[in-house]
Amino acid sequence: MSPILQGILTIIIGVGGCVGYFYLSNIILDRFVFPARKDDQGRNIARATAVRPWLFLMPAILALGLYLVYPVVGSFLRSLYNRSGDEFIGLGNYVQMFSEHGFRVALFNNFLWVLFVPAAATFFGLLVAQLTDRLRWGSIAKSLIFMPMAISFVGASLIWKFVYAVDPNIGIINAVRDYFGLAAIDPLQIPFWNNFFVMIIMVWMQTGFAMVILSAALRGIPEETIEAAILDGANPFQIFFRIKIPQIAGTIAVVWTTITFLTLKVFDIVYTMTGGNFDTEILPSYMMSYMFRDDGRATAVAFVIMLIVTPVMIYNIRQARKEL
Amino acid sequence: MKYLSKPSFLGSAAVLALSAGAAFAQDMPFEVGEGDFQWDGYETFAEQHDLSGQTVEITGPWTGNEKEKVDVVFRYFEEATGANVNYSGSDSFEQDIVISARAGTAPNLAVFPQPGLAADMASQGLLTPLPDDTAEWVAENFSAGDSWVDLSTYEGEDGEEHVYGLFYRVDLKSLVWYSPIAFDEMGYEIPESMEELKELTEQIVDDGGTPWCIGLGSGAATGWPATDWVEDLMLRMHAPEVYDQWVTNEIPFNDPQVVESIDEFGWFIRNDEYVRGGAQAAATTDFRDSPSGLFAVPPTCYLHRQASFIPAFFPDSAELGDNVDFFYFPSYEEKDLGNPVLGAGTLFSITNPSEATNVMLEYLKLPIAHELWMAQDGFLTAHAGVNPEVYATDAQRAMGEILADATTFRFDASDLMPAEIGAGAFWTGMIDYVGGDDAESVAETIQDRWDSIR
Amino acid sequence: MDNIAGHKSSLSLVTNIAVLCLVVIWLIPTVGLLVSSFRDREQISETGWWAAMFPVESAERMRPEPEGVTQDGDYYVLEGNVFEAGSGSVSGFGLTGRDPGAAEVGQTYAWFEVEVTEEDGEIDDERIEIAYPADGEPEFPEATEDGLPITPGSAVLQRSLTVAENGDFSYVNDGEISRAPSLYVITKQPPDFGWQNYRQILTSDGMDRAFINTLTVTVPATVIPILIAAFAAYALAWMDFPGRGWLVAAVVGLLVVPLQLALVPMLTLHNQIGIGQSFLGIWLAHTGFGLPLAVYLLRNYMIGLPRDIIESAKVDGATDFQVFTKIVLPLSFPALASFAIFQFLWTWNDLLVAKVFLPSNSESWVMTVKIADDLLGSRGGDWGILAAAAFVSIAVPLVVFFAMQKYLVRGLLAGSVK
Repeated sequence: MSPILQGILTIIIGVGGCVGYFYLSNIILDRFVFPARKDDQGRNIARATAVRPWLFLMPAILALGLYLVYPVVGSFLRSLYNRSGDEFIGLGNYVQMFSEHGFRVALFNNFLWVLFVPAAATFFGLLVAQLTDRLRWGSIAKSLIFMPMAISFVGASLIWKFVYAVDPNIGIINAVRDYFGLAAIDPLQIPFWNNFFVMIIMVWMQTGFAMVILSAALRGIPEETIEAAILDGANPFQIFFRIKIPQIAGTIAVVWTTITFLTLKVFDIVYTMTGGNFDTEILPSYMMSYMFRDDGRATAVAFVIMLIVTPVMIYNIRQARKEL
Repeated sequence: MKYLSKPSFLGSAAVLALSAGAAFAQDMPFEVGEGDFQWDGYETFAEQHDLSGQTVEITGPWTGNEKEKVDVVFRYFEEATGANVNYSGSDSFEQDIVISARAGTAPNLAVFPQPGLAADMASQGLLTPLPDDTAEWVAENFSAGDSWVDLSTYEGEDGEEHVYGLFYRVDLKSLVWYSPIAFDEMGYEIPESMEELKELTEQIVDDGGTPWCIGLGSGAATGWPATDWVEDLMLRMHAPEVYDQWVTNEIPFNDPQVVESIDEFGWFIRNDEYVRGGAQAAATTDFRDSPSGLFAVPPTCYLHRQASFIPAFFPDSAELGDNVDFFYFPSYEEKDLGNPVLGAGTLFSITNPSEATNVMLEYLKLPIAHELWMAQDGFLTAHAGVNPEVYATDAQRAMGEILADATTFRFDASDLMPAEIGAGAFWTGMIDYVGGDDAESVAETIQDRWDSIR
Repeated sequence: MDNIAGHKSSLSLVTNIAVLCLVVIWLIPTVGLLVSSFRDREQISETGWWAAMFPVESAERMRPEPEGVTQDGDYYVLEGNVFEAGSGSVSGFGLTGRDPGAAEVGQTYAWFEVEVTEEDGEIDDERIEIAYPADGEPEFPEATEDGLPITPGSAVLQRSLTVAENGDFSYVNDGEISRAPSLYVITKQPPDFGWQNYRQILTSDGMDRAFINTLTVTVPATVIPILIAAFAAYALAWMDFPGRGWLVAAVVGLLVVPLQLALVPMLTLHNQIGIGQSFLGIWLAHTGFGLPLAVYLLRNYMIGLPRDIIESAKVDGATDFQVFTKIVLPLSFPALASFAIFQFLWTWNDLLVAKVFLPSNSESWVMTVKIADDLLGSRGGDWGILAAAAFVSIAVPLVVFFAMQKYLVRGLLAGSVK
């Protein structure tokens, strides 16, 4: 069967199935399991009301449980076994991993990513949001800076290859160097700094996201606060740093953490730009080099990523609980 | 399933066939008894065997254009024996064959693209040994026959060694590509020895040119072209036995002999004057893109070491024998190691024996089985009994000669090593080396990785 | 900001310029890609895309067939035009690949054999190369480059080439011309834009197949989670039941679970239950991975719907199912749209999930995999093809992005700002 037909069929079955499930399960619940008959109408309605939420939630809980909760446990258990999965080796994979140069490089680079990408993206996002705030063509400018968000990491990497290429007829950096009579360099091979050249791609893509949200937050600041500050004789920079920034600090934190999470998951950019060579490996791409070969090691790396995320995850859950 | 795999080039040699064109409209394009083919053996073979009503199931890695060519070879078999041959090719052959062999649904014969998997399956008892006289026959009839016997001899489930495969179709890696026009204009001669090749390298620099185009980039498989260099040099600097020990890790990866070979590679690649764009550029230049320097005006390099498949990636203006040609990557005059050749090849193994499988293997021993594909282009063989006149192009013939003159044949080491090394640590290690790390520490890192996967 | 900058026009100017700079920097890489995707492959390797509007100068080797050779005394002459197509413009030419622009048009470039006096007094023959006006006579130097004196009048012509700007050439050789000679010319070619890269990528390089595969993955993987999530979000927003708070918290927690964790266990599970690597598997996987955001976004939106509408409907006897389908779902359209865009962009652009959950053969490659694992390798240096492929893959998301930006922004705000 051709994938297209299969796809159409899946949509029909999937959508039909979902609708059918929700519809039929409701009918079954109301008519047959707890029918609202005379004798115990009140009790049955109450019972049906108690069950119905779970009917609504069931598919989502199943899918979430299977694809996100179970893997946390499943991955951890798998990471305690050797490569073929038939021998229990405790924390062997982790011990082995931490003793390896490649892993330590990946871990270190990952910290660079987590420090630099969210900071730079938030900074530029805030800058653009502030600068375009009252600009007549501000929305066009924002739209253009926002655009990379729609592009895949693979596509973005390819786009940036046209910036970094060694050939001065392709790469802009080397074209400029060539113009000034300097020898061509390969930005992706300069030790340590090559990480930043790769990270810039991520910053390029995420700045738009930061900008959109921070721009909305800036607009949410009450006019009176700012006017009061102007009357007090504050200059624009003071207003920006002393009044506006503290007002939107919460939003900045949200933007920052959101980009951090994304950064921890992205392997595509490193994979397409350097393939992890020249000491640019990060944990997600390091994991992929073990995927399908040594599942024990791959899951161990995944679990390390999970551990890095956990503190922020707990913080997020606390916040959510507070708001309820 | 492999996440990283060296691109498979079994297919690309076929592009060499551009000139051969679309001549094979009919099922049997060559008239029996005509041309330079050795039909005698074929006719005797046809008289001896009658397999009417039997079917031979074969799976292998050849698809598309190559499947069409091998189907022609099989059709002559059908014609001779009356059997039915059912060949199916798959891109994911290596996974499929393991699954089907375990499930007991294996075909009669399987065509393995490299010996590693065959050896693996033999040790699990999934392959049937070839008849006992095969080893002797291969040793006598193949050039560098003993090498081929070794490559197809594995330990079975019972722990005893048998020949498990018959090599059919070979790829050649020890080639240096150059432009005869540029050589002519500059007055360069084709080097006969490694010493001369190194002299030529220096002379080109003296003349103001850049000798080598080297590209190690290959997406996720970046680094593999460097492993071919090191393997080729390894074979030229040390005895083949050392090479074998290296492949099986009987000598560690950081053995001084290996390190010496890496450093010899460094003589070429770590000199910015010797490599187009400098050593750094070599690490990121895609290997498919790198030979383009030979065709540039003015030429940006004069030499390019790469396997027989590379013409597939030459620019459109390339014409083999005219503005581009190749010579054997020479051996050292001072070392008495003969003419070693590095390559790869496919082998037929029995996964599910029947009367017809043995007859098919007999057929594959006949020169005609090789000649039928040679004539369709994109096929080299180690079979010494074939008639070189049958080769479809001069280039193929010249490559065939290099194979025939080989005193030693060794299989691409990185294909034989465990995937973590041969398709992982070895690649990245070479990139680190080209980037400036010293050979010793690179080799040590690779050995550490090897130790960790035991 | 006019409170601040409006009074200070200089600051306003600076702002304008700064924003302009940022926008240009942000756009340059993409523009480079777009321009390159339309350029001819040869021209890309000769000049940068920023010079795409100018003619390209490139050195080429010409091999004119030795047809119509005439004899002139001891010499053989081959005449013709270097341009097969008949048009073009030559700016320089030469006889060796190393120096293809040794002479200018209108000149004759010739090799002479001359007698030189070596330092030890011996007479020797050496070759000198001279360029001189085609209608003039060669002027011989008194000494070679190495400083050896040349015997006057000893020069004998070996080979010469004259090329005019329109490509007409005349090649003179002292021996018979049996093989095609190698002539080198530097030509100027007009900019060459066209669809050829796109045509190639879509017809012979399999990008069409990858495009269809991407579409096949994306549509079900976008539609199905929306439905499932909408019901769950309604339950979490408008139904009362014990543990609701914890479930919402759990969804918030799952938002950040790295999907790397799911790869190995889920692929193993898929293999065990017979789904294996297949489109069905990737639809299920994308559904699972997309749900937390979907539930979270939709719940946040639904909870903001006016309470009295829903309650009055319930008072009128509507069941939850009716309230959901008749009232909440239509009202939630903006949130549904914004999640749909998210999920669409995410699945369309995904590389990781496709690499793991789809078979690794060329028939099931999606565009990202096709580019990352195939084209970047097999077409590594063919920038025009790469650019066209990239543009094919980003065109649909860009259209969706610009057409539905409003919803995307709204979704982002709902998802991040509370």
